[in-house]
Amino acid sequence: MKKLFLALSATVAFSAAAHATTIGVTMDKFDDNFLTSVRNAIAAEGKAQGVTLQFEDAQDDTGKQLSQIQNFIAQKVDAIIVNPVDTSATPKMTQLAVAAKIPLVYVNRKPEDKELPANVAFVGSNEKVSGKLEGEELVKCLKGKGNIVVMQGQLSNNAALDRTADIEEVVAANPDIKIVQKQTANWDRNQALDLMNNWITAGDKIAGVAANNDEMAIGAILALKQAGVDPKTMCIGGIDATADGLSEVANGNLYVTVFQNATGQGKGAIDAALKMVKGEKVSSYVDVPFEKVTKDNYKTYMTK
Amino acid sequence: MEPLSNTLAAPDRKPKRQRRLPTEFGILAVLIGIALLFEALGWGIRGQSFLGNQQRLLVMILQVSVVGLIAIGVTQVIITGGIDLSSGSVLAVSAMVAASLAQEPGYARAVFPSLSGLPFIVPALCGLVIGALAGFINGSLIAITAIPPFIATLGMMVTARSVAQVYTRGQPISMLAENYTWIGSGAVPVVIFLVTAVIFHIALRYTRYGKFTYAIGANPQAARVSGINVNRHIMLVYTLAGLLSGLAGLVTSARAQSGQSSMGLGYELDAIAAAVIGGVSLAGGAGRITGTVIGTLILGVMTSGFTFIGIDSYIQGIVKGIIIVAAVVADQYRQRRRRKV
Repeated sequence: MKKLFLALSATVAFSAAAHATTIGVTMDKFDDNFLTSVRNAIAAEGKAQGVTLQFEDAQDDTGKQLSQIQNFIAQKVDAIIVNPVDTSATPKMTQLAVAAKIPLVYVNRKPEDKELPANVAFVGSNEKVSGKLEGEELVKCLKGKGNIVVMQGQLSNNAALDRTADIEEVVAANPDIKIVQKQTANWDRNQALDLMNNWITAGDKIAGVAANNDEMAIGAILALKQAGVDPKTMCIGGIDATADGLSEVANGNLYVTVFQNATGQGKGAIDAALKMVKGEKVSSYVDVPFEKVTKDNYKTYMTK
Repeated sequence: MEPLSNTLAAPDRKPKRQRRLPTEFGILAVLIGIALLFEALGWGIRGQSFLGNQQRLLVMILQVSVVGLIAIGVTQVIITGGIDLSSGSVLAVSAMVAASLAQEPGYARAVFPSLSGLPFIVPALCGLVIGALAGFINGSLIAITAIPPFIATLGMMVTARSVAQVYTRGQPISMLAENYTWIGSGAVPVVIFLVTAVIFHIALRYTRYGKFTYAIGANPQAARVSGINVNRHIMLVYTLAGLLSGLAGLVTSARAQSGQSSMGLGYELDAIAAAVIGGVSLAGGAGRITGTVIGTLILGVMTSGFTFIGIDSYIQGIVKGIIIVAAVVADQYRQRRRRKV
């Protein structure tokens, strides 16, 4: 059995080497923290699989990204991985790849195509889940009752709207929990600090804070500390599992944060692309689940 | 020096004083008006007092202290007939540099692991020097190459933001030591803001520095002819504005207990708004620190007021924009009517 497995893996390795698969990758931005993790994961997995990778930086410019894709097609790469600058521009990209019969994988950001055709896939996390995980954990912390405030990200940003909607959905299912205040702090720690200060003085009894990201949750924690309230007595939630967020979880100030798996997305993108190159069928949506991070499991994320 | 100061349009000369003093009263009336409006709405909507809450009064000033510090610098720049668009970005660079030198000892991801546990004065001084240096570059560009201040400081705005990002390749700087974060805790930012305001109020009204600043703004040619070293003075004013942006950077990073390259985004516009609301003329030569402080407080009262009565986030900007313009229009109208009388 073991021998058979060895022989099998040897053939796989051999065939991969023989083909010397080339994959073109275009990323929205090279200097974004999270996207850098995704990019590193793509590079690592590509290396492990013996794939030649060509990375391009679209510098947040949709026009540039389209030209990069056209260049990949002209070079006859075996597959293309796109982290879209603007998700509403993806139908055009899909069309180009399909016409050239080159497999295409979107990573991290959900394309706005009505339906992805065969040989085109999306590898990413379902944004609708992160707020839900945060909300459900806060409900547990609140033991099903109390007033909470919601700190939103930038109001023009889909992630902020989705995460807020998730929280509202969870709260709606728990009649004893009430959202007493809801406002934007633009993902920003300082703005969140000021906002929380204002809420504290408004005199509402607040038992919890649901922030759209960790930075704002930390702003709330700082404001509470300065107002002489121990954040540990409150139920505070964030999303992102940033290094600072995790250390607040370790301190017990942040009750929950949510981890988006950059490594999983990068690896998943390479896997999907290679499968399609080999002619295997890939589901049009490969879900890389969000992961809930609390005091019980934060240590495993410290190194990620 | 005697004959010189006599020939200059000193801001505190008797006839001017009679015309100017009410300018601040006008804007003060607007501030009180807005506060009373929220007071009334507060009782109507939330059933509690808006102003009768010491903690809230503190928060109102606290949240605009950083913008206020920048506004004090920008006020002087505007009085010379210039503008400074770089304050927010310079704040970010100072915040990053200072934060990187103020990290707790033994933190694994420190920027400079060997440079932790330094005394407060090191990061503070470095942050201030960086700010002053950026301001000095602004001033030198404007004085020596004679390019418009708008362009020079726009260049600095873009460059400094990028320097802040490059410094740690976008990574935030966390775990700041307590001997550093004290300048951002409690009411300390408010004290720094108000003390700075008093210092520059005195400097502008009662010293040669102030007389030169107004003279250059009112008429640079005349100032030059009357023996003022205009270039050197312009450099000084921009350097001080940079220094204040640096100070704002220290306070911001200490408050957030973190240095981030996106800090202070758009603060320059809030600061300019505060100055303009406070009666500082973009044409140069007129305006005072007291007006700017009141303008800053108007921004703070509005932010707290909106949150207090629960105005939807989506429409806060609309109301804020209208109030800013309306405050200035009302003030202009009132002044024009006075002149006709």
